[in-house]
Amino acid sequence: MSDEDEPRDGGRRASDVPMDLLKEREAFVRSFLKKGVEYTELLLRENRELREELDEVRNENARLRSQVASDDAIRDLLRTVERLEAERRALLDRSKQLERFEAEHEHRQAQIEQEMNDLANLYVASFQLHGSLSVRRVVRHLQDMVGQLVGADAFVIYVIDDAAGRIVPIAHEHVEPSEVRALELGEGPVGEACMTGLRRLRELDVHRVDRSDPVAVIPLLADGKPVGAVEIVRLLEQKSGWASVDHELFELLAAHAGAALIAANLYEQAGGPLGALRHLTSKL
Amino acid sequence: MAELSCLVVEDSPMMRQLLVFALARIKRLHVTEAEDGVDGLRKLAQGKYDLIITDINMPIMDGLKLVKRIRSDEAHKDVPIIIITTEGSQEDRQRAMALGATAYITKPIQAPQVIAKVKELLSIE
Repeated sequence: MSDEDEPRDGGRRASDVPMDLLKEREAFVRSFLKKGVEYTELLLRENRELREELDEVRNENARLRSQVASDDAIRDLLRTVERLEAERRALLDRSKQLERFEAEHEHRQAQIEQEMNDLANLYVASFQLHGSLSVRRVVRHLQDMVGQLVGADAFVIYVIDDAAGRIVPIAHEHVEPSEVRALELGEGPVGEACMTGLRRLRELDVHRVDRSDPVAVIPLLADGKPVGAVEIVRLLEQKSGWASVDHELFELLAAHAGAALIAANLYEQAGGPLGALRHLTSKL
Repeated sequence: MAELSCLVVEDSPMMRQLLVFALARIKRLHVTEAEDGVDGLRKLAQGKYDLIITDINMPIMDGLKLVKRIRSDEAHKDVPIIIITTEGSQEDRQRAMALGATAYITKPIQAPQVIAKVKELLSIE
């Protein structure tokens, strides 16, 4: 036995330890090691669980981050939708504005068309009335003017016969010949118009036929004096009332028809253009 | 685009002038005037027309006889014809349509109405 095997303190060697104690120590060590293993396993499990929790937290975090990003995208989309809505409203407003403008334009165009039509009627009527020096043709133009332009279906044209002091019919359309006769000055609406030079128009109930109250009596004037009249007995079916151009045509009739008749009559009496110009210089 | 031609047959100078005024607003439409049915036939014999507008009531040869003559003529049997009538003369209108008239316009004539009808029949935009 070496010195090393000898306990310095005079204690016992390992081999001197009783078996029970050895077993007890071994059991303790085993128990200690077992607990160490268990503790290690516990730590490892907890670590694993913590890792799992950490993963979950990370996942949740990622999800939340993604949701935030998605919310931002939605907010962006909502802003885009709002902007597009505003643009749509602006476009709709513009479209409505354009529709209104187009309707106004069409209305204005229709008005211009009507005015051009009216002007053409007036021009043609005036041109034809003064473009003829034949009494027959002037009367024919008068008939066309009243019938075709004004839209009278039945009418009578009169002139004043100064010598006889009466009003005599010179043309008529769609009025029974038996109902067309000479009148005294002042007799009935036509006689009154030939005396006063005042126009008479029935504005309402224009399709009522009543010779004592004709739908229109237009005096024909020359130099401001009545020389005849047009009595409108009945209007065409499709004519529902007086248009603005009718009033213009009546003005034209009143102011020009009498003069055109006088000019044509004098021209024919003079036997032509040169005869009609005879003695003209002495009147200047 | 080729020129189109129209014959206006109307005895009233006033109405004729009004029709010519209205038709003058259609581009490339050349208008020839005739004073009555006989004059209309004379003008038709001298040339070809893409459209004929005629009044019904005319001296010498009225619009109905003219429509009949035009339709019996091989050279003009397919030319569209517009007749001018009054609203009340439905019989004349029906007779004219039966004889071969294509369309009608009622008096008092309105330029926009005439222009629209002519454009429709000549397929003008």
